[in-house]
Amino acid sequence: MWRGFKTSYRSVIRVPFGPQHPALKEPENFTFEIDGDIVINVKPRIGYNHRGIEKAFEQRTYIQNLYLAERICGICSDAHTTCYAQAIEDLLGVEAPPRAKYIRVIIAELERIHSHSLWLGIAAHEIGFDTLFMYYWRDREAVMNLLEMISGNRVHYAMNTIGGVRRDIRSEMIPKIKKGLDFLEGRMKRYMEIVKQDLTISKRTEGVGILKQKDAMDLCAVGPTLRASGIKNDVRADDPYAAYDEIPFNVITYDGCDVLSRILVRSEEIFESIRIIRYALDHIPDGMTRIRVPMAVPPGEAVSRVEAPRGELIHYARSDGTTKPERYKVRSPTLGNIPALCKMLLGCHIADIPIILAGIDPCFACMDRITFIDVRKDEKWVWSMQQLRRHTKR
Amino acid sequence: MKIENSIIKKLRALLGERLIGVNIQKERRIFIKVTREAFKETIKNLVNRLGFKHLSTITGIDLGKELEVIYHLSYKGAIELSLKVSLPKNEAKLPTVTDVIPGALLYEREVHDLLGVIFEGHPDLSPLLLPEKWPRDVYPMRKEENLESLRKAIFENSHVEGL
Repeated sequence: MWRGFKTSYRSVIRVPFGPQHPALKEPENFTFEIDGDIVINVKPRIGYNHRGIEKAFEQRTYIQNLYLAERICGICSDAHTTCYAQAIEDLLGVEAPPRAKYIRVIIAELERIHSHSLWLGIAAHEIGFDTLFMYYWRDREAVMNLLEMISGNRVHYAMNTIGGVRRDIRSEMIPKIKKGLDFLEGRMKRYMEIVKQDLTISKRTEGVGILKQKDAMDLCAVGPTLRASGIKNDVRADDPYAAYDEIPFNVITYDGCDVLSRILVRSEEIFESIRIIRYALDHIPDGMTRIRVPMAVPPGEAVSRVEAPRGELIHYARSDGTTKPERYKVRSPTLGNIPALCKMLLGCHIADIPIILAGIDPCFACMDRITFIDVRKDEKWVWSMQQLRRHTKR
Repeated sequence: MKIENSIIKKLRALLGERLIGVNIQKERRIFIKVTREAFKETIKNLVNRLGFKHLSTITGIDLGKELEVIYHLSYKGAIELSLKVSLPKNEAKLPTVTDVIPGALLYEREVHDLLGVIFEGHPDLSPLLLPEKWPRDVYPMRKEENLESLRKAIFENSHVEGL
């Protein structure tokens, strides 16, 4: 098994990563060309999970599409329905009532907390710090319980509808949400200290996966990846939707341009989200939560943007006056970050590939195995999970 | 709306007649349409002179006789400008913008895969989303393809039995 590795020590080897990873929500395949231990070229190949959703949008009515939009992603399901509902509301020329807008903000921020703590756990796992991973995921349950209490669901909250939200946040829920947030804030403060002080984390993430400010801009990176390269860019602040124009908050940036900065940006965004939810709960206006809208949508087009946990999410809708859209386009933040990811990976060590890949938050949690192909000898061999882990932790 | 109007004013001065349609839909949402000849020049001006540094995505639409490609660019993350250009279906070609915006690399490949628009000068237009064995002349997002014909395309070219 190790024979090929020794003989081809100086040759360029192609290493395919993926596409199957059990915990990865979007299977992706990366082919790395490596010289010794250094990555010299990266070729992404996506589409293994292409389900033809954009075509499916054209076959279904606007209400059915709400459920389809919910199922684009299992982690930022609320971001997609918010974006969808906004696009269709835009086409219809209606606006969600103020109370619905505040509820949308609360759910979106709870979702951001759950997504970021999920990612922070995964990042800890990728660098071999499994204790922190377990702690993050244990405390993530607190926010999952809050979401379940509000919506009855843990993953697909099904809160949004065209013209508002489907469920209200009742007054007896507010103290419970605040209690949950207090618990989360305490825990996250502790983890923030760990992230800033722990030697393992700084050694494995500082200066790893560098994405310079100019490259981040040129390659159209989005979300925390962009903000960790020092660019203050957040759809919530720049292009406010829902009730974000009424709520004060800070856009977190770090200028380390490395994985550590990406960890710090996301950690601090959790505190910002907690602050936003507290403000929204205190200032939520009374009134109705949804308005009724017609089935058919007048001809027109709309661009809708949302800051999903992973970054800018953009939907484009075009209607032709029927009950089904003529064209519906979705661009999720992970696709926007892939060119930037390829840039980060150039020149890195094989051992750093998992944490850099995880750095953009495609939920790269678990690696089954990788196949090594010696180009010259056309031999193949496979690393088991244990071998990969051992190599990762070196 | 001040910035939106000044952007349109500058574009009118730069492009003149070649700017076919302008629609400031609401605050922070602009839709413009240019002729195919002026397309590359418009992109260059938008990126280098008017500060539209970020490309959100590229959308392709099949409108029956022609295809429409929409470039969603954003100005300082805030103003989203959608630049449209129409192409005849039998000559669906556009110059690449990857030399101006390197981030367009995957978006162009996506539109090429799904609608068959050829981006001239793109470094690599190999399939990004579709399988390697996908037939060359089937573009899933074109209107003549329906779920039945796509299922057939997958079935006939699949090496997996019973798919």
